[in-house]
Amino acid sequence: MGSEKAKDLAEAAVSKALSAGASYAEARVQRTWERQFVLKNGEPQPSFFAEGYGIGIRVISRGALGFAATNDMRRVSVNEIASKAAKLAKASSTVLEKPVLLDNSRPVKRKWSPPETRKVENADASWLRGVLLDIESRISDGKAGVKIPGRLLFLGAELEERYYVNSDGARVEGRLPRIGFFGSLSAIEGGETAQRFIQQGETGGLEVVKRINLVDKIEEEARAMGRVLKTAAKSPTDSVDVVLSPELSGIAAHESVGHPQEADRVLGREGAQAGESYLKANSLGRKIGSTEANVSDDPTLVHSNGFVPVDDEGVEGKKRFLIKDGIINEFLHNRTTAKEFGLLSNGASRSVAFDREPIIRMSNTFVEPGDLSTEELVKEVKHGVFFKTFTEWNIDDKRLNQRYVALEANLIEHGELKGLVKSPVLEITTPKLWGSVKARSKHMEFEAATCGKGDPMQGAPVWTGGPETLLAGIKLGGR
Amino acid sequence: MDLEGLNENAVTAAKRLGADDAVALSAKSTEGMIRFANNSVSVVSKVEEAELTVYIAKDKRRAIASTSNLDTSAVKKFVGDLFASLKGLPKSEYVPLPDRANKFTPSKVSYDKKLEDVDARLPAFAKSTINSAIQAGGKRTAGVISAGKVTVAILTSTGTKGSDSKTAITLNVRSFAEKEASGHGLSCSSSLSHFDPEEAGRRAGENAKKMQNASEPEAGKYQVLLSPTVASNLVETTAAAASAFSVDAGTSYLAEKMGKKVASSSFTLTDHGVTEGGLGGRVFDDEGVKTRSNAIIQSGVLRSYLHNLTTAKKWKTTTTGNAGFVTPHPWNLEVSAGDSSYEEMVKEMKRGIILTSNWYTRFKNYRTGEFSTVPRDGAYLVENGKVVKALKGMRAGDDLQRLFSSVQLLSKHREWIQWWEVDTPTFCPWMLMDGITITRAYE
Repeated sequence: MGSEKAKDLAEAAVSKALSAGASYAEARVQRTWERQFVLKNGEPQPSFFAEGYGIGIRVISRGALGFAATNDMRRVSVNEIASKAAKLAKASSTVLEKPVLLDNSRPVKRKWSPPETRKVENADASWLRGVLLDIESRISDGKAGVKIPGRLLFLGAELEERYYVNSDGARVEGRLPRIGFFGSLSAIEGGETAQRFIQQGETGGLEVVKRINLVDKIEEEARAMGRVLKTAAKSPTDSVDVVLSPELSGIAAHESVGHPQEADRVLGREGAQAGESYLKANSLGRKIGSTEANVSDDPTLVHSNGFVPVDDEGVEGKKRFLIKDGIINEFLHNRTTAKEFGLLSNGASRSVAFDREPIIRMSNTFVEPGDLSTEELVKEVKHGVFFKTFTEWNIDDKRLNQRYVALEANLIEHGELKGLVKSPVLEITTPKLWGSVKARSKHMEFEAATCGKGDPMQGAPVWTGGPETLLAGIKLGGR
Repeated sequence: MDLEGLNENAVTAAKRLGADDAVALSAKSTEGMIRFANNSVSVVSKVEEAELTVYIAKDKRRAIASTSNLDTSAVKKFVGDLFASLKGLPKSEYVPLPDRANKFTPSKVSYDKKLEDVDARLPAFAKSTINSAIQAGGKRTAGVISAGKVTVAILTSTGTKGSDSKTAITLNVRSFAEKEASGHGLSCSSSLSHFDPEEAGRRAGENAKKMQNASEPEAGKYQVLLSPTVASNLVETTAAAASAFSVDAGTSYLAEKMGKKVASSSFTLTDHGVTEGGLGGRVFDDEGVKTRSNAIIQSGVLRSYLHNLTTAKKWKTTTTGNAGFVTPHPWNLEVSAGDSSYEEMVKEMKRGIILTSNWYTRFKNYRTGEFSTVPRDGAYLVENGKVVKALKGMRAGDDLQRLFSSVQLLSKHREWIQWWEVDTPTFCPWMLMDGITITRAYE
């Protein structure tokens, strides 16, 4: 963060909270910088930039947790809000059944940032617009083989800088640049419409756009919409094998493995909003899938959208093996849930802004790769459907009953990819999905996504991904 | 922090730099919150924030920026940076701000001094919610109560100025009983006297108890009785589809349907800038235009999209006072009441499902309005006018126009809804509709 004043304020806030009666205190000064540009059907919208700067303070007082935040960065105001956090927490202990305790994680002292070739601060409106115009030139006026009258293209560059300090000794300084694209494409052909929402993004600087071949990717998405509208036939309704693309493997991993294995959900803390989990505290070791079901979450992946090498409790991030050979292996923890489980935190606590409490979040959640090539995996299928991209999806709040509706999906017959089929629906329970995994390819891809959780809502950048995943014997369309 | 002074600094700086138009919108908010789970507090919080948003136009080039760094020197630099950023921009659709200077005074219809600082009372509210849920049959209760105040002030380069303030207190509670049964309750109000945590807790506990022996329904088409909570979630998506920006962007099922029938004749949807009890909105929009009431759908006919100055010019109409500098949006939604009681609506059901809460509404195609949503908490099968059993493990899907065209009855009773799944405050009745598709997951 580079500002001694910011560091002093964070240190002072912790001291003030402790002197106001807190037994533990932490402070996070966070500065955010954003530049955005939007083209709607080729028309430039007003450019946008935002700057944020503030401090969030979290305390434990008389066993209760308190959080307070302000962007009034005068020392007197910060001190005041730090005291308030301690006092409010103490007062709320009248409704406390069980005190909040923290594990003994090693407090990290570290400065971190991901690789960044061209500094993200160089992303001005001209550059952002230029990238979007490149995309526009490939997909407007039917150039991608289909009319796309509805084109909403958004490109953003952002930088988060934070300084974190806690009373256990952690001192962490982080710089997190990120480039993110969002597109909404509405194509039309013969009176039929198709719609696709596309999100792409990585941590890093301006080089991200070329590294992820953004312009080519969006053009291919547009071409796929045309193919679907012009050629997709009725989807089979009998029992089929299903191949999930990396995109579908990733969303399934995120929704039905990552979320139910967030320990705060397991323990009921998110019950009123995001819900609880079909898994209980004693579910570790439970068999939930075939031996081919292997799902992980890793905040240390370089370039990843969910890159969090040190979390917002000052704990080193590390890879979490959520499902190993079909067995529930590990939950995502912060220091509080880890203490309840008699473990040490695995560094999953994140906050998206200075005014948001850190909570347990996924980072980059993915199905682990197998050893087949994509072609070998498809050859395994006699009669099936290859789900390549999806539109509508949802899942119940215990994370047991999910639905994915494909946009682009091919029929597979006798090991060969055939024509496109229209809107196949995979509506399936979590144990059935992961219990049906028969094989995985070694070809890995990741998609950017924004994961919603918390109250107030916190949209956290993540990656979802994996290889092609083969599910055997699936009835499409649910029951 | 003086919002008027902040706006003055920003607009003066923009004018000095030569801006054709400038708008400064500053906001100051304070919010206290208590969250609880498993009948115990999980966190209390207090957030005090202020933010400045500035819009500048020069030679048909437009830019918007916001900052939370509000030191006088920082604001001056911020406006300078914003002005400088115009140089790299292309000319875009530009509509000057209205010449006439409006002076706005706070509406006061949704402001309760008693809600300015209720932090000290939040633990007691939480306790009464939990106790009420337990008494009604819940075993474990989780929820969140938020209370606070927000003031927004505006100043434009054409002399429009003023401010408005709002207070609100909202409670969202879920109670859990045996066998993962759950129930949901809400209490949302702009005044403390209408806040009823006991009633919300009671509803949550009661539904949790009733859901203990829930079973899965057969897949198929059903009549459906939507609670104000569920109906508001779908109504909000319809209001979003009425934004002229969504229509232009190809993400609205209401495109090309102006003046046409898009819902049942009994369905009227209105957006209010300010309304008695409304938890959202203000007397002016982001462009300094006076907000008003707009009938979006009247007696089933699409009457108006929501506009700002730019979208209104494109659509050869006038702004509806719903700016968003870029995207017009609703402020407070109201669905007209019917004349049925809840009991009468249940009696009308031959084979239907009552849904009290839902989440995760997602669209296959916003242009066609095809969606599915996941019911949660209390859900009940009704046969020949009688509730016969509790239901779980299902998904409901349809397209919005077909669904709203099938409205059969609306209740007299309406409630204000705002929670995790409903961002725009919505005053909504129970709705009885026909033909929704229920599916179950393959297992």
